[in-house]
Amino acid sequence: MFIYLDKDSFLHHLHPVTKIVGLILLFIWAMVFNHPLYLSIIFVIVFFLSLLAKSLANLKKFWILLIILAFFSTLLWSFFLRGPSRLFKLGFIQISKESFLYGLAMGIRIDTMIISGIIFLSSTRTEDFTQGLSSLGLPFPVSFALSLSFRLVPTFAVTSSTIIQAQKSRGLDLESGRLLKRIRKHIPLFVPILIHAIRNTDLLAMALESKGFGFKKKRTYYLQFRSTWKDWLSIAILAGLIGFSFYIRLNGYGMIFHRI
Amino acid sequence: MKAIEVDTLSFTYKGGPKKALDGIKFEQEQGEMVVLMGHTGAGKSTFSRCLNRLIPHFHKGNYSGEIRILGNSIRDKRVYDLVGQIGLVFQDFESQLFSTNVELEVAFGPENLCLSREEIKRRVDESLQLVRLKGFERREPASLSGGEKQRLAIASILAIKPKIVVMDEPTTDLDPQGKLEIFSVAKILKSEGYTILFIEHETEAILEADKIVIVDRGKVVTEGKPYQILKDVELLENHGIRPPQIAKLLKEINEPTISFNLDEALKVFQKRDWKISDEKYTALLKKEEEQHIGYGKKIIEVKDLEYFYPENIKALDGISLDIQEGEFLAIIGQNGSGKTTLVKHFNGLLKPSKGKVRVAGEDTKRKQVSELGKIVGYVFQNPDHQIFANTVEEEVAFGPGNLGISKENISRFVEEALKEVGLEGYEGCDPFSLTKGERQRVAIASILSARPQVLILDEPTTGLDYRQQKSVMELLKSLNGKGHTIIIITHSLWVVAEYAKRVLVLHQGKIILDGSPRRVFSQEEKLADSFLRLPEIIRLSNRMERTLLSVDEFKYCLER
Repeated sequence: MFIYLDKDSFLHHLHPVTKIVGLILLFIWAMVFNHPLYLSIIFVIVFFLSLLAKSLANLKKFWILLIILAFFSTLLWSFFLRGPSRLFKLGFIQISKESFLYGLAMGIRIDTMIISGIIFLSSTRTEDFTQGLSSLGLPFPVSFALSLSFRLVPTFAVTSSTIIQAQKSRGLDLESGRLLKRIRKHIPLFVPILIHAIRNTDLLAMALESKGFGFKKKRTYYLQFRSTWKDWLSIAILAGLIGFSFYIRLNGYGMIFHRI
Repeated sequence: MKAIEVDTLSFTYKGGPKKALDGIKFEQEQGEMVVLMGHTGAGKSTFSRCLNRLIPHFHKGNYSGEIRILGNSIRDKRVYDLVGQIGLVFQDFESQLFSTNVELEVAFGPENLCLSREEIKRRVDESLQLVRLKGFERREPASLSGGEKQRLAIASILAIKPKIVVMDEPTTDLDPQGKLEIFSVAKILKSEGYTILFIEHETEAILEADKIVIVDRGKVVTEGKPYQILKDVELLENHGIRPPQIAKLLKEINEPTISFNLDEALKVFQKRDWKISDEKYTALLKKEEEQHIGYGKKIIEVKDLEYFYPENIKALDGISLDIQEGEFLAIIGQNGSGKTTLVKHFNGLLKPSKGKVRVAGEDTKRKQVSELGKIVGYVFQNPDHQIFANTVEEEVAFGPGNLGISKENISRFVEEALKEVGLEGYEGCDPFSLTKGERQRVAIASILSARPQVLILDEPTTGLDYRQQKSVMELLKSLNGKGHTIIIITHSLWVVAEYAKRVLVLHQGKIILDGSPRRVFSQEEKLADSFLRLPEIIRLSNRMERTLLSVDEFKYCLER
């Protein structure tokens, strides 16, 4: 159910701060180019990272989503952008080579970012995440709440699916009808989900208070992280790659459209 | 020194209609185990939350009275100040657990107390040892069974080393095995010298207690030794507690011996030379056989059903069964045995991976859930997972509206459904303002209003007190009498014994027993393999080589 995989890998052993910074760097890196070829190289490197983090099992759960995103991105950008070399025209619909390549690039970019996120969550416990955010200067309650929200998503998903089943059993049909009507049809789902969420948050807050949460400024962290040369090296390599990427981009490589 | 002293404590929730606590007085010695009992809504949870200042700090309201914990007034204390003295375990263990693994969950409290890592490690080990979860350190809480989760919640409190542990209905959401696990943990804690306040419905918990306190309408009604309280069948029934069956039987046949114990009861019977009448027992059996005559045509047919969850987890393994119109079927088995997965096939929420399910002769693979909803109604376990409307009437009209029933008929069906569940006059009420028992009835009415032939209910009695449980079951009985086919999933074997006409025992996705409750419950050992422990009265009769399902049956058959 939960994304974290309790494995022993290079990434599992990195300092959480390294992983948070690394994740941000990967996001930045994916933003540097908009050419599918250049993005593919980043994609392959990120994919290699997922092997390194032993998180392939999680990628498998999401591969359909990844393909759908890449497909629709390619399709939509192809229609909406206009480029000089037209490939195809039918009435007002036209596709150019540039718009197609740009769409493909955006698909690869989204997938790269999602995979980076999955790698992060697969190799980082919520507690590591909390601690990482704290050592970056965020107050503990804020770091705790941020990382907890990731933790609660799957739990929430389970309840939502129960509620959907309960209402489907009462004949709720979400598929038919016009948009407005369909939105209205979701009320029987939203209300119980919302009430469940409020009730749960309330209970959780009580349980936390009963365990002494949030009263003292200081607290012990049971888990101990030390940054090693591996952390510094990882960040250095990533930063280096991004620096190099910026350099070649500024020299006019890796771009389909220059203005976007 | 007393562990807990409460003097005329009153509390009204902000915006609440009446006093949740009304001048309650209470005392508990150190090292004692006290069990607090009473109706749902009697004020038990409110009381427990006052003890660690969640009330009035977390829940606001009108508070008056005095509490002393370990001799000190807590008037000026915050929740945090009491953390090392009193620990609270809640009923809903799911929402108490939030860590990635068992070890970190237990470490959370001590971390907040700024203890050293070595001390935290020591406390984690100790606490896990106490609840018998050593070796589970790296396990993900979500992967644990219900009983294990609740034990983990208890360990996470023990790690803070409170002197007093308060448990607010920790076993309500657990299956029978989970309940036993919690009772044995309570026993361990008591022997370790903890002061324990246990809020509980189950009578098993009581026998270990030093004192029982019964609460009603925010006040203590009576208190005493377990023995004194449990023998008072009337008192228990009046306060939503199911009396021990053996005590009830002895009382009803005017036997002066007071006992809850099977062996003692047997001795009494031997001494007095009381036996089970063959003639009357045969009459019972005959009546049971005649039941089948009243059944109609096959409404649900299941053939060689297999079901796989993603990642090839086999949940159902070759299930075949037929259900006829007019049956009252109970499905029992441990959590994870496939009960819910099976019944979700009956209204098409799940479709078979292999095999066939037919409802009213039609293959469910070719039908939508919304179409099958006209024949098979499904009441989910938690009424709050389906209630959404502003009024009870709107809620109950939702199902038939979806199923395309005409306007005039809907209002008639709604009216009749509400009448059926005893909620006439509630049409305009906000369903969220009702009690859990009433919300359960709204949920049943909202399914009933679509007039399905078959009614499925997933754990209809969970979270209700004895009085509410009985009234829901009586409702189902009367619906069954009017021709509805009833299918329930339950952990309550006394419910099965007293209400069902047929029982199905599932174990690891297979049917291991199928038959009348009398036939199935005569196989005590086979049931014990699935951690199903029969009610006392049935075990007593089994020892006398007959199977009697209720106190009434026993009384009827006993030859004196």
